[in-house]
Amino acid sequence: MNSATIILWLIAGVLLLFSWKDGTETVKRGGTLAWETTKQNALLILLAFIIVGFVNILSPDELVRTWIGPNTGLLGILLAEIIGMFLPGGPYVVFPLISILFEAGAGFAPVITLVTSWATQSFLTIGFELPFMGWRFTILRWGMGLVIPLTAGLVALLLWG
Amino acid sequence: MPSSLKKYQIHFLLFIVILILSVLAYIQSGWDLVGDGFIQGFTILFRELPLLTAAFLTAGFLQALVKKEFITQWLGADAGIKGILLACLGGGLIPGGPYAYYPIASALLKSGAGLGVLIAFVSAKNLWGISRLPLEIAILGTTITIRRFLITFLIPPLMGIFAEKMFGRRINNIRENIGL
Repeated sequence: MNSATIILWLIAGVLLLFSWKDGTETVKRGGTLAWETTKQNALLILLAFIIVGFVNILSPDELVRTWIGPNTGLLGILLAEIIGMFLPGGPYVVFPLISILFEAGAGFAPVITLVTSWATQSFLTIGFELPFMGWRFTILRWGMGLVIPLTAGLVALLLWG
Repeated sequence: MPSSLKKYQIHFLLFIVILILSVLAYIQSGWDLVGDGFIQGFTILFRELPLLTAAFLTAGFLQALVKKEFITQWLGADAGIKGILLACLGGGLIPGGPYAYYPIASALLKSGAGLGVLIAFVSAKNLWGISRLPLEIAILGTTITIRRFLITFLIPPLMGIFAEKMFGRRINNIRENIGL
């Protein structure tokens, strides 16, 4: 069990304690709400995780390595943003992949763009965002977010080349 | 579109993605790799079940416990900068992947949180996320991590303020749109 799981269980525990202080009605309502949300989203979560599984085994890292080499400037930043959206999985998968790129000579700017794009624009995350937030929120957030990795990359390019 | 079909729109979309990925896997190494994709997916899901359970419980109790007036006052559209900064702090501190923080964001949206607050929450989770920083430092190094963090530091509150100003009035449309 990782630290994220432990911390989240602690938060759930504290909330349960507060609900209990509020009265059994609140505890029951909380449990019911949790169960309803789980039931509503069980199939979607299953589908989303199958996608995560496939992206993991298809390992597009070779493609990534071919596309952004060192000193690619503006084009590198643009490509880094697009690649970042497709990077598979959580930090355990993505950071090692990006680290390989950096060791191969990619500049600061594309690497920072990659991390930022993966963090804010990842298509894999959208699989979870859509069912919970609806497509209106998802499109709005994702669309506004498009400028973030580019801006981060440009600032990095200006500051550190 | 009939509402019963509309309900399964996203299921259908995810199903299509799985289909495309299966074809890619098949082209790359045949049926074995297609099977591996499913197995890998189930394995990760199984591994993340404790985290998922905690996330759903947190979302449930949060909704039951926090009164609508509190959310409206602190995180609603009228909460202003105060609400957006609070959301940034919460997003930066909350651990876990998208399957953990989206149920929580969804609970906040249902309970009356404003658009700017929610955008700030998700953006801060993505860019400030304290639980991810140690790993980022360990694998990518201090220099990249610190530069990345500093460059993107102002983005979550700015995104929240901008979203609220531009699209904040549409929050009811957005709220009705959950689960469609």
